[in-house]
Amino acid sequence: MDPMATPTREVFWNIEHTWLVYVLLYPTAIAFVYGLGRRVEGWFMGKPQIRWDRPWLRLKLFLRDGLAQAQVLRERRAGLAHLAFSWGFLVLTLATVAVFLQHDLGIPILSGNFYLYFQSLVVDLFGFAAIIGVVYVLYQRYVVRPPRLTHGVFSDGVLLVGFLVALIQGYVVEGLRIVATQDPWGIWSPVGYATGQLLVALGVRELPLQLALHRFFWWTHLVTAFAGNAYLPYSKAMHLLVAPLSLFFRELEPAGRLRPMEIEGAERLGVKALSDFTWKDLLDLDACTECGRCQEVCPAHAVGKPLNPKTFILDLQRQMAGLAREEVTPAVRPALAPGVQVAAATLAEDAALEIVGHSIDPEVIWSCTTCNACVEVCPVEIEHVAKIIDLRRYQVMEEAAIDETPQQALQGLEDRAHPFRGTQASRADWYQDLPYVKTLAETGPVDYLYWVGCAVALNERTQRTARALARILHAAGIDFAVLGEEEVCTGDPARRMGNEYLFELLARQNIDTLQRSQVTRIITTCPHCYNTLKNEYGALGGLFQVVHHTELIEELLAQGRLPLKGPVDRSPITLHDPCYLGRYNGVYQAPRQLVDALGERVEMERSRARSFCCGAGGGRYFMDDRPGQRVNVERSRQALATGAPTVATACPFCTLMLEDGVRTAAREAGREAPEVKDLAELVAEALDEEALAAGWPPEEAGGRRA
Amino acid sequence: MHVVVCIKQILDPEIPPREFQVDPQTKRAVRGRASLVISPFDLNALEVAVQLKERAGGRVTVVSLGGEETPEALRRALAMGADEAVWIRDGALEATDASGTARCLAAAIAKLDEPDLVLFGRQAGDWDQGLVGPMVAEALGWPLVTNVFQTRGENSPLELLQQAEGGYRVVAATLPAAATITNHEANVARLPKVREIMLANRKPITQWSLGDLGLAADEVAPRVVVEALAVPVPEGHCTFIEGETAQEKAQNLARALRELKVI
Amino acid sequence: MVLVALVAEGETLPRPGREALSLARTLVDGGAPGPVVAAVTGPGAVQAGGEAFALGADRVLAVPGREATADRKLLVDDLLAAWEQAGGQEGLILCPGDEAGRELAPRLAFRLGAGVASEVVRVRWEGGRVLAERPAYGGKAVATVALPGPVGVVQVKDRAFEAASPEPGRTGQVEELPAAAGPERLRVVEEVREEAGGVPLEEAPVVVAGGRGLGGPEPFQEELAELARLLGGAVGASLAAVDAGWVPPALQVGQTGKSVAPELYLAVGISGASQHLAGITGAKHVVAINKDREAPIFRRAELGVVGDWREIVPALIDAVRALRS
Repeated sequence: MDPMATPTREVFWNIEHTWLVYVLLYPTAIAFVYGLGRRVEGWFMGKPQIRWDRPWLRLKLFLRDGLAQAQVLRERRAGLAHLAFSWGFLVLTLATVAVFLQHDLGIPILSGNFYLYFQSLVVDLFGFAAIIGVVYVLYQRYVVRPPRLTHGVFSDGVLLVGFLVALIQGYVVEGLRIVATQDPWGIWSPVGYATGQLLVALGVRELPLQLALHRFFWWTHLVTAFAGNAYLPYSKAMHLLVAPLSLFFRELEPAGRLRPMEIEGAERLGVKALSDFTWKDLLDLDACTECGRCQEVCPAHAVGKPLNPKTFILDLQRQMAGLAREEVTPAVRPALAPGVQVAAATLAEDAALEIVGHSIDPEVIWSCTTCNACVEVCPVEIEHVAKIIDLRRYQVMEEAAIDETPQQALQGLEDRAHPFRGTQASRADWYQDLPYVKTLAETGPVDYLYWVGCAVALNERTQRTARALARILHAAGIDFAVLGEEEVCTGDPARRMGNEYLFELLARQNIDTLQRSQVTRIITTCPHCYNTLKNEYGALGGLFQVVHHTELIEELLAQGRLPLKGPVDRSPITLHDPCYLGRYNGVYQAPRQLVDALGERVEMERSRARSFCCGAGGGRYFMDDRPGQRVNVERSRQALATGAPTVATACPFCTLMLEDGVRTAAREAGREAPEVKDLAELVAEALDEEALAAGWPPEEAGGRRA
Repeated sequence: MHVVVCIKQILDPEIPPREFQVDPQTKRAVRGRASLVISPFDLNALEVAVQLKERAGGRVTVVSLGGEETPEALRRALAMGADEAVWIRDGALEATDASGTARCLAAAIAKLDEPDLVLFGRQAGDWDQGLVGPMVAEALGWPLVTNVFQTRGENSPLELLQQAEGGYRVVAATLPAAATITNHEANVARLPKVREIMLANRKPITQWSLGDLGLAADEVAPRVVVEALAVPVPEGHCTFIEGETAQEKAQNLARALRELKVI
Repeated sequence: MVLVALVAEGETLPRPGREALSLARTLVDGGAPGPVVAAVTGPGAVQAGGEAFALGADRVLAVPGREATADRKLLVDDLLAAWEQAGGQEGLILCPGDEAGRELAPRLAFRLGAGVASEVVRVRWEGGRVLAERPAYGGKAVATVALPGPVGVVQVKDRAFEAASPEPGRTGQVEELPAAAGPERLRVVEEVREEAGGVPLEEAPVVVAGGRGLGGPEPFQEELAELARLLGGAVGASLAAVDAGWVPPALQVGQTGKSVAPELYLAVGISGASQHLAGITGAKHVVAINKDREAPIFRRAELGVVGDWREIVPALIDAVRALRS
């Protein structure tokens, strides 16, 4: 052949009856469009919500997590495999589009450099990467079999094997074409070229045999690919179309800001049926890739509670797909053959069906600690926790269906503005003998209001944290005061337990108190208060600068305003990241710097963004655990595994939960229980009281107490 | 079935001891920051009434005698499932006692539309007297079943489950009758639904004065005089058992108990 | 006159009734106008009434014709007839600290237009009137109430007063009255026993009680039950433990639960809210195990151990066993 000729190849070479392709395309397209349509129709059952604000940010995040798959890649090997075969699939699809452009629209693009570099070389290499990816994934799924990947064993197998078969068929077709036409540019498709050479080596030498085999594999490749496309909207591969959407339309608000809701005049409070969710919630259900990362990180699942965030999403997906209905209400299912009309009607029925008690067990939604680990780890931005809270909202506000002990906590919030039933303490107890702790009513406006929090003020144990922090603030010369008896619960437990009404009552009362007292800056010891004051009061008109005590103490240490005696006795120290401080608000560094200032730090296997909840969040502190299903004990085992004699926390709930948990865990292990202390307590113990008494900081080192 | 529940709004019984104070002049507890709540056993009574209504049909009327914040308690009762609320309100009732309260409640019950059953909490969570229920029954000439925790059946005679030593007994009551309610896992007060709370805020509350009830002020004059109300000073003479280890402490305790001749 | 209103289902006087009779005798001996009249109704009225003389009654009026009934309205009529018979103008009526006494006292007071004090723990005759002391506000306060009218009714708290031993020499003639007529509108149709044996909480010489500090239902069935068995006692609980659903309400000791008066009350992980302390006023020796030295229970306790009950209680079980062997 002429070496100067333009590189190209003949589309439909060696293929007769090409009209058959179009005949086969029709059912494929109908199946695809119908399947896709049913899904999209499902999303439109949802309530409106604006998820297209800040489009450039959305696009940026989409490119990062969708195209570059940054979140998928957080799990290295599985992420690379996924990247390989998803990009392979994408590139092969583009190649098919190029063929379509040339052959059906008459745009001559399959020649020259585009043909050589893209259509031959790039496509060939990406296809090969896809094969490696699929093989790795098959190995993971069917040989290694981690517990998180036990869902859809058969359907995923069909998908993966189908994809692999189509890829191999493709190379066989390409190889035979290169061999049979003695394609001068064949080497530009190295894998296809090698496949052709391999086939020749295996004895496929005669041209008629090559042509016959080429035709056979060409058609079977087509059928496999069409079948795959027809099946796509009915399978989890659907995420390939939906995940980009869920990534683009993701929640951009801070994780700690629960969705606000209208109460007065709302037709329904919370979510009873699928149609009460927003469209994005419903889209989430189809975006699920069943990767099981949420299942792997869920503390409730880890201790054997009925919640598994993955099956939670998939059960909702099943209900949306109408599968759940078939099992429950066969009578209402039309006996006639299904058609689009019928499908729409039944979809509406599914949309109206109560979710809890039908596709989701009530215990599932009450098992959640709202630790947000699932949301954090999800590569496609599914919002599990918001859905669970929405379901709780309906259960609590419309049905009053809640267990007795959490009900008592809610009742306590209503009657006495704190959830700790039966406490003997009052909010002013902890500072009775501390002359430097005064109420705002006594001092008038101050630099910082110290927001104590019920969990701190009303428990003997955690009162020590407040006393320690007050000591530190006083030592550093911070001008602060407390609200004393005027403080009421921020409403976080009510909100996370689904009682938005009560949350608003409490929040409005607090905002009123804070604004009346001209408070602008707030220190909190409780990350739950921190999160609510910082992220959630804004929507109700309460805007404050909120700082967590670990952040402030870290700053004071850095400024040299706190003299420390040196490392604490019980070092090393392991740090438990509270969910509402770390994952929800990104405060990981300040507590670590405090630990480092106090001694040697050993990290637990799960720390920072992957931190394992203490078990108290989402109102779980006020609910009973079944024996053997205590999240705090599991976390305590992890703490014990570090061998550290001190467990540092930065949250009163964590302190209470872990102090209880380490006893059990230590007894199991036949070891001495480590001490559980809030970082404020550890810092206060390490304060150099002598230096303070002598006047700190020394005059020459720069004045003190401006 | 028309069930009447008499409720009392009281000072939160869970007020921490340090905050509890008594006014030596009025000989009453100082309200301070504490909230007012429905007396706990009255909540159990409301729950029993609402369960009975749900089973047997009919309606529940809640009656309370009290000061200016009484509507809050009545509204909560309405949100829990009561259909109507009556507030007995009269300046002359400020100083009344159990017998005066009972006279008012009995008059109100007689004025209501033929109640079949009147329920009371076993005792109020502030004074723990347990007097009003039996007195109202006496005033109406009705039988009373005490320490009931649940009802069975739908008509007269209605079966009332009464707590008894080591178990319970079932008392068949010819209606109309009265009962005092004690706490039990079967009658834990439900959490009102938020929707019901919002609806309850709009429901009217009937107000009756002494005159409306056909009573004169001297009829509700107190029969008892509170001479003193004092906060007892804890004694405090505890001997702490010491020891290096838990074992040592336990052994020392066992010895001390033997010396007291209790083991 | 001090009239003691009694109901005798069986042929002996129940303990709460004997406590009330002894108190009546003490009051009259201390200056209150006598005589002490025992009014007894119920199936065992005559036999039980006979005992009343030895316990301090000067006069006994019995209504023998009264069958056992759940309708105490009928008993009120019987007792009022006795009150009339005994003079019925002025005086004090004492009711015992049992179920019947708690219902009869307010009913009698209402009928007589009298003042009434219930659950009384101390009674004084002073300056020609009765002063009764009773706990209020869940034991956070003690109220002293006076009954100013010609007639007063006092219902005494169970186990707040000690029953005197009978004086064998004191006897007398029981006067009989006919039972009042009236329809019986309450009928007991079924009696159900629920608890499985063991020493009843109220009668137990030793009570081992647990509170919020126990952290769950298991310790009540395990450590506490074992210790109680070992000491021949019963397991009790604080309101917090009942509220948490760890134990049934029948085990609750306190203002709204049971009143107990054991020789030894061992409080484990109980902080000692006044609500709870109100139920153990009669306990002879109170011993507390609590991890917080500041817990209010130590202000009521005679002996205290500061520590983790999880370690102390098993060690105590061993120590008691060792001491006994």
